[in-house]
Amino acid sequence: MFIQHTIGLFTDPMQEWEKIRDQQKSSNKSSVGHVFILALIPAVSGYIGTTQVGWRIGVGEPIRITGDSAFAIAVIYYLALLVGVFSIGWVIHLLGKAYEVERPLPLCITLAAYTATPLFFIGLMQVYPVLWLNMLMGLPALAYTVYLLYSGLPIMMEIPVERGFLYSSAVLAVGLVALVSMLAMTALLWGMGLQPVFTY
Amino acid sequence: MTNIETYNYKVVRQFSIMTIVWGLVGMSVGVLIAAQLAFPVLNFDIPWLTFGRLRPLHTNAVIFAFGGCALFACSYYVVQHTCHVKLAFPLLAGFSFWGWQAVILLAAITLPLGITSSKEYAELEWPIDILITLVWVSYAIVFFGTIMRRRVKHIYVANWFFGAFIITVAVLHLFNSAAVPVSLWKSYSAYAGVQDAMVQWWYGHNAVGFFLTAGFLGIMYYFVPKQAGRPIYSYRLSVVHFWALVFTYIWAGPHHLHYTALPDWAQSLGMVMSLILLAPSWGGMINGIMTLSGAWHKLRTDPVLRLLVVSISFYGMSTFEGPMMAIKTVNALSHYTDWTIGHVHSGALGWVALVSMGAMYYLIPRLFGRELYSLRLVEVHFWSATIGIVLYIASMWVAGIMQGLMWRAVNSDGTLTYSFVESVQAMHPYYIVRTLGGACFLLGAVVMAYNLWRTIADATPVEVEIPEPASAH
Repeated sequence: MFIQHTIGLFTDPMQEWEKIRDQQKSSNKSSVGHVFILALIPAVSGYIGTTQVGWRIGVGEPIRITGDSAFAIAVIYYLALLVGVFSIGWVIHLLGKAYEVERPLPLCITLAAYTATPLFFIGLMQVYPVLWLNMLMGLPALAYTVYLLYSGLPIMMEIPVERGFLYSSAVLAVGLVALVSMLAMTALLWGMGLQPVFTY
Repeated sequence: MTNIETYNYKVVRQFSIMTIVWGLVGMSVGVLIAAQLAFPVLNFDIPWLTFGRLRPLHTNAVIFAFGGCALFACSYYVVQHTCHVKLAFPLLAGFSFWGWQAVILLAAITLPLGITSSKEYAELEWPIDILITLVWVSYAIVFFGTIMRRRVKHIYVANWFFGAFIITVAVLHLFNSAAVPVSLWKSYSAYAGVQDAMVQWWYGHNAVGFFLTAGFLGIMYYFVPKQAGRPIYSYRLSVVHFWALVFTYIWAGPHHLHYTALPDWAQSLGMVMSLILLAPSWGGMINGIMTLSGAWHKLRTDPVLRLLVVSISFYGMSTFEGPMMAIKTVNALSHYTDWTIGHVHSGALGWVALVSMGAMYYLIPRLFGRELYSLRLVEVHFWSATIGIVLYIASMWVAGIMQGLMWRAVNSDGTLTYSFVESVQAMHPYYIVRTLGGACFLLGAVVMAYNLWRTIADATPVEVEIPEPASAH
């Protein structure tokens, strides 16, 4: 089922969002089991990329991370992705109060999960970690995610597009704040000595 | 007897138009120096065209010329409208315009010549500093004089923010620019060593806190409710976060001097105050966003509202990022890297510039009694600016984290893994993306300038009568 939805979000997003909504309303529980599979893509790719391929900064030999260290990072990465999706879903649910459209939590989590689809797929590029290339490829994926959010939120929440624009912007701002917290937390952990073990 | 007195729109018009002009100048210089960082050949081996001389010109032009003119224009407009009275001391108001333009011109001449006090955001030498003081005192007299003549008892919250901004910037400027002149164009700071650094960053951070935040919150508190056609979400919240913001900001400066010769307790104090600052900052953001949210049905017809939504969102994002970066452990990584540059620009482009541009879209057509030439072009501006900001911030995040990690990477024998120049080399692709982002933002500003120019071309300035204040206010 989720494969159809995933493909549909790329071919005919508007119609697919409606299908996801209707299915969600009839079952009334979150149909997000696929997130556990999709989140594996970036985590496993990251593991392969950092241990097998390595990356180059400027000149010199490629840098790699030891298998143990990379495995620990991959697990944390996987969990962080899941926490990210579910907490954004929870935030969408909470923000509903401010925008006077209170919808059940499972629906909000489904919205967050399907919105993140392009980001999960582009995670595959981490198999070949060249930062600037990853950034170039990541930006369109990010743009499509933002598009899915703005197009999907009004449909899932059944509110007018203009009202959805404000609601989506608030969700996006929360997403940016979450991203900045991740940056800060990485810097904190790194500063406290919890850093990857490199092989040179 | 009917009241036939009219608002003083002349000085507002002058400042509004110069806001657009200086915006284009300052942002163009910004794009040029961003391109120079990616392609150093663009220095052309001409001393006054090098990054070191043009960078202060860029910051002065966008902060004090573009931002400053926007603040003058909006505060002069808002104080008249909310006090129901004509601007006090019209001659002084005129002097504040011509004096401020003279300051900007002098900056544009002296900075490329390499004449500088070397204090960041306060580079101008002492004769110009004296002119700034004169202009600022006349600004304060005009603004507070108008408030004293007000015909309503209440002082609207936007004026509180403008007032705090004017007073604090006066104090900051006087203390930080205190210097001993040795010749007409050279002086030395009145303070020595770490005291000088502390005074500089007490000034520097409050230039951000009061010039670029309090003043622009004043703009938000008038133009956002006006454009949305709704009262502000919570008046109580606006007053509470005003006092909290004013009391907290002034202590946050030391976070610019983490791990320097500054005493450790002062650094920690700066960090704690910066973290507390998140609360009043978000008070303002929530108030702005909730005011706009009630006007959602207007979004379809009004792209200016969208510009304001995005600007307040970026205000929320960058005021969250700031306290994070003030944490000493995070700062150990982020300081001196491009993460800081990205943070500044998410505030400067995302918040300050967009809210000013939103205000100009509101103000300029009204000052000339015209309808805005094209809403479609505002839409183009909106997208161009938003994409530009995203490219800018994203590239600087990656560049900054990379620099931080490269600089602190050590080999097992304790030697540095990377030389500095290797980290410079690694920045090349991100600097290109940053230049593209800046160019997108500038393109949006050019579209805005064209749109506003078509709006006011061969329009005659309007005179607007001051309405009687409503009895129940």
